[in-house]
Amino acid sequence: MFIGAIGCEPLQLRRVSLERSRTLDVYRRNGGYEALRKVLDGMSPDDVIGEVKKSALRGRGGAGFPTGMKWSFVPKDSPKARYVVCNADESEPGTFKDRYLMERDPHLLIEGMLIAGYALGARVNYIYTRGEYRYLIEIMDEALEEARTAGLLGDRVLGTDFNCEIYTHTGAGAYICGEETALLNSLEGLRGHPRMKPPFPAVAGLYGCPTVVNNVETLTAVPDIIKMGGDAYKALGTEKSGGTKLWSVSGHVARPGVYELPMGYDDMEKFIMEDCQGITNGRQLKAVIPGGSSVYIMPAEDIIGRDVRMDYEGLVAAGSMVGSGGFIVLDDTVDVFESTKNLTEFYKHESCGWCTPCREGTDWLVKVFKRIESGGGRPDDAQLLLDIVDNIEGKSFCPLGDAAAWPIQSAIKKFPEDFRRHISNGASGDGGKEGLPTA
Amino acid sequence: MAELIKVIINGQDFQVEKGARLIDACRENGYSIASFCYYADLALQASCRMCLVRIEKMPKLQTSCTITCTDGMVVTTESEEIEKARRGMVEFLLANHPLDCPVCDRGGECELQEMVFDWGDLEERFTERKNYAPEKFLSPVVANDSQRCILCKRCTRVCDEWMGEDAIEAGGRGAHTVIGTYGGWLNCSQCGNCIEVCPTGTLLDATYRHQTRPWELSRTTSTCSFCSDGCQLSVGSRRGEVMRVVARDRYVNGHNGEFLCIKGRFAHPFVNHEERLRTPLVRYKKGGRLVPTTWEEAVRFAAQKLQEVKDAHGGSAIGVVGSPRLTNESNWALLRFARDVLGTDKYTASEAFSLAPFFENLSAPLATHKDIRHAKTIVLIGGEPEELQPLTGKQVRQAVRNGGAKLVIFNSVPIRLKEQAAQFVHIRPGSEDAVVLALASPGDAEVAASKLGVEADEIGKASQIISETAGDVVLMFGGELSAEAQSVVAQLPAAFGEKEGRRFLLHPLPLFNNSVGVHDLGLMNGALNPLEILDAAGSEVRALYVAGGFLPAHLEGREGALSRLDFLAVQELFLTETAEAADVIFPAASFAETDGTFTNSDGLVQRVRQSIPPVHQSKPDWAITSQLASALGTDLGFQMSSSNIFLDIAHGVPAYEGLRYPLLKDESKPVQVKHALAGRRDVTAQLAELRRALESLDENAEKITETPPVGHELFKLGVLTSKVPQFHLLAAGNPEPESVLVSPLYQITLDPGLRREAAAGD
Ligand SMILES: Cc1cc2nc3c(=O)[nH]c(=O)nc-3n(C[C@H](O)[C@H](O)[C@H](O)COP(=O)(O)O)c2cc1C
Ligand code: SF4
Ligand code: SF4
Ligand code: FES
Repeated sequence: MFIGAIGCEPLQLRRVSLERSRTLDVYRRNGGYEALRKVLDGMSPDDVIGEVKKSALRGRGGAGFPTGMKWSFVPKDSPKARYVVCNADESEPGTFKDRYLMERDPHLLIEGMLIAGYALGARVNYIYTRGEYRYLIEIMDEALEEARTAGLLGDRVLGTDFNCEIYTHTGAGAYICGEETALLNSLEGLRGHPRMKPPFPAVAGLYGCPTVVNNVETLTAVPDIIKMGGDAYKALGTEKSGGTKLWSVSGHVARPGVYELPMGYDDMEKFIMEDCQGITNGRQLKAVIPGGSSVYIMPAEDIIGRDVRMDYEGLVAAGSMVGSGGFIVLDDTVDVFESTKNLTEFYKHESCGWCTPCREGTDWLVKVFKRIESGGGRPDDAQLLLDIVDNIEGKSFCPLGDAAAWPIQSAIKKFPEDFRRHISNGASGDGGKEGLPTA
Repeated sequence: MAELIKVIINGQDFQVEKGARLIDACRENGYSIASFCYYADLALQASCRMCLVRIEKMPKLQTSCTITCTDGMVVTTESEEIEKARRGMVEFLLANHPLDCPVCDRGGECELQEMVFDWGDLEERFTERKNYAPEKFLSPVVANDSQRCILCKRCTRVCDEWMGEDAIEAGGRGAHTVIGTYGGWLNCSQCGNCIEVCPTGTLLDATYRHQTRPWELSRTTSTCSFCSDGCQLSVGSRRGEVMRVVARDRYVNGHNGEFLCIKGRFAHPFVNHEERLRTPLVRYKKGGRLVPTTWEEAVRFAAQKLQEVKDAHGGSAIGVVGSPRLTNESNWALLRFARDVLGTDKYTASEAFSLAPFFENLSAPLATHKDIRHAKTIVLIGGEPEELQPLTGKQVRQAVRNGGAKLVIFNSVPIRLKEQAAQFVHIRPGSEDAVVLALASPGDAEVAASKLGVEADEIGKASQIISETAGDVVLMFGGELSAEAQSVVAQLPAAFGEKEGRRFLLHPLPLFNNSVGVHDLGLMNGALNPLEILDAAGSEVRALYVAGGFLPAHLEGREGALSRLDFLAVQELFLTETAEAADVIFPAASFAETDGTFTNSDGLVQRVRQSIPPVHQSKPDWAITSQLASALGTDLGFQMSSSNIFLDIAHGVPAYEGLRYPLLKDESKPVQVKHALAGRRDVTAQLAELRRALESLDENAEKITETPPVGHELFKLGVLTSKVPQFHLLAAGNPEPESVLVSPLYQITLDPGLRREAAAGD
């Protein structure tokens, strides 16, 4: 497994391979907390937000919302407390970058959160991790304690009158709690359901107070932006997608890992075939799901020879999305019907149950997949799947419904043969055992 | 009047109020919008996705229940795209639904059924195995079939927002989400509002399960016969039997909305209970047996006996006791009987406390329940509305939670409502009067505070909240206040003075459905109160004519009083303690069998309507009184019609002047009687009395620190509630049965001793 940068100097991954990389000592000897010092030594909160705006940093959690803009939505005159919440839920299938950042460079996250806290006037910040990341909490807590002892956290950070505390908190294992408002509910001790937007968290978030929720990767980009300046950071990438991006590469490639690429990396084919050292066992590339499970699947023919640029615009042009950067490579042994069924089962399992289309739709989809798989396919099943999906898409309460819909839409469109084969396995076309209604 | 803005709905321009919700704006202008989860005055949910519309310049279909109209908004509510979305949602909702309408209690009045008629497809595309969950009981009165649930969460929201109970919540996740309870058994006030608001057959009235179909029921809009809130309800009856009571808005639209409490909703089985008195009973000889007889004979005998006492000792030796449980008409008949037939001034009602001092000094209008909901400050002195006047409790809770009102509670008991209080002043038991003194006379506040056992500035803080209020201030008080304190409370608005934009409203918390009515009619103004009448039994008072029974609290320590009488006539539903002592018992009709009116704590006069013929041989109380009057040679002139009596009330009682039954027809527009306002009164004498009483308060009295358990009043077994088996389970602590799949009634046998116990204020 590879962890490192390709096509640029490592930025966020600069320290991850160093010995004892998670200690304050190593962090400081390698440029750590210099950005915080710079901020506290003479930048105003607005200066900080200005640099982040200039950097063209976009949220790495999946939605790609411009971070500087999000920060500027926090009302300046609110008498309420403000919060910065780090979204370390990392629950999108195929995504595993945040965990390496926290495991190997926890102080980078702490520094990023302190700077964000300073910029936004937050005195209490939270790191919310998924339940399965309990071991990371220990690492983070240790690093936080180290920072506290060193006067970097808590009251009078670095001897200034800036006070800022950071606490860790774990979820209980629900994908939906990675969605920022469900995360806030969970953090408050409520059921993990998304909240209605508006109001957006920046206006009314944790305990009804202005709150910025950012992904780990987003927050860990901030110290470098401050150090090198927003313009320089942006210049590493493209005009609209500034800086570098981490890709969690998994699946049938010879060298999976966490890759830091400059935004706009050219091109996806080269990335798979050279940087990731090609497909395992000399097999053929069949498809890539480039941005975590919630994006359109890309067949090989949309990649090979297509010069797909790896940034927000490039992937949209190529028919998919950057999402969380969970880059899943599928070789030609993969049955896309089966892989899509697998993903759909995930969404069904993770649907929080709040809204009708996602709750009932994903349940129904899985039942149809299972019926088809067990030989009960009917001629119009592909149409049925698409229609169920159409009744979910754009109508659900939160984006999870869409996330469940898109993989199926693209899979049926791009790999109709895989579906046709399963469906026509059906005995007589009138449904197998699974298909019989029971009261 | 709010500012108007323009919205364009389906190509037509409409003026709507700024801030209007789109779904309401569409509906008010004639465009129907499907919805399940949207419910006025509850937190928005936006989960059913039925109400989708297209709004220009917005990327996706939008839920109209969450959108606030903006000027120039262009909306489409009808299109192919919207119809497909809506049909898709209905199809989703039916996917795992068992489609067992033929055996569902909700069938025939189910919002899901109706939605399917409108937006369902003939062909069912879902042919897969349905998810399964067993039917079960959540409590003795709430049953649950979670397979029929559409997860609109109206139930959980009313439980939380209305009731403050938070007793039901969704559990599980995704398609396996079920509405359930913490720990598997519902420990709450058992109001059943979750059942009421459920649009499907998921939450069900466990007392009515599988009894009738909704279309077999005759429905009568009437007024609840328990507490002074006066909830409007719909009595569902079949062949002379009351089958259920609901407040569903398709049948009735009272000031309580769809709210009812456990008694209103579940205690109705007393109406057709087997222990109802069947015939008149006469005891010809003191010490003899009560024997069934005919009406003719019972009336003859009673008339003869009353005449004998009258002849021997004069009419004023006969007492007449009405009841705050009975209609205004029946109480008026009794009052007329006392005055015109007997010529006695010894009339009263079996009421827990008299409101006369309060009304004599009334200096501000009575707050309606609607006023309470929109008040900005609510001050509660004593009382426990969440147990004794549950609708008031709900309105207070919503005023605070949904309306941002400030609640100030003075109570010796840390009642549950304190959860909503901005300020809870925890006073010593029995010191409620001192609170009134301190509020009315700041000079006494310091001394009062030390007697109350509170910090000196707590009274000041409360006064400040009241002083600073912009909007309505509602002052509420419970039955703990003395007559003097009541007078002072009624004058408190004057103590605070006038302030632009602030309005004072008063809200007494009497215990019974017609407490205010018996006061208004003047029945409480007789020479003796109920205790004094009992004490005078056998001396000054030789005979009594009682409608309804004395309260257990009246009889306590006066057990022998009734037997000292020469003659006692009682009209009752059951053989109560009072009735057992009677020489003649007339079987009376219950609220479900009579026409009339009750006056609630808001001063709203609301109709009681006959929904079933009187059971057995019972008759309305006023009819019995009328008949007895005739037998004594006086025609009260009612011509056996309750509306004639009401007309007589309207002529005789100034506050009711001009009122007629037709004016009270529409329960959605209740009529408030015109209680005379007293203006500023001199209450120095009362204040002096309060000061005197203050001195005798014990400064070392222990405070009550325990919050009373939910239901400690609501579940009490009274004359009526003890007729309902479910109440026995609840009163015994609502034990969880071994299996929640079988009715708890079949599983738990209670100590039979419990069945006999009766308490005040059932
Ligand atoms: C179903 C769902 C799951 C999500 N899971 C995550 C997650 O695990 N981690 C994350 O950072 N963002 C996740 N998001 C995105 C967050 O809602 C939010 O956009 C993000 O945390 C904002 O941070 P950013 O601006 O730094 O990207 C999820 C969104 C949805 C709809
Ligand atoms: S789309 Fe609806 S059911 Fe699905 S996760 Fe979001 S809110 Fe929950
Ligand atoms: S039980 Fe009824 S009210 Fe509650 S969520 Fe289900 S359908 Fe809605
Ligand atoms: S009524 Fe709008 S989503 Fe349910």
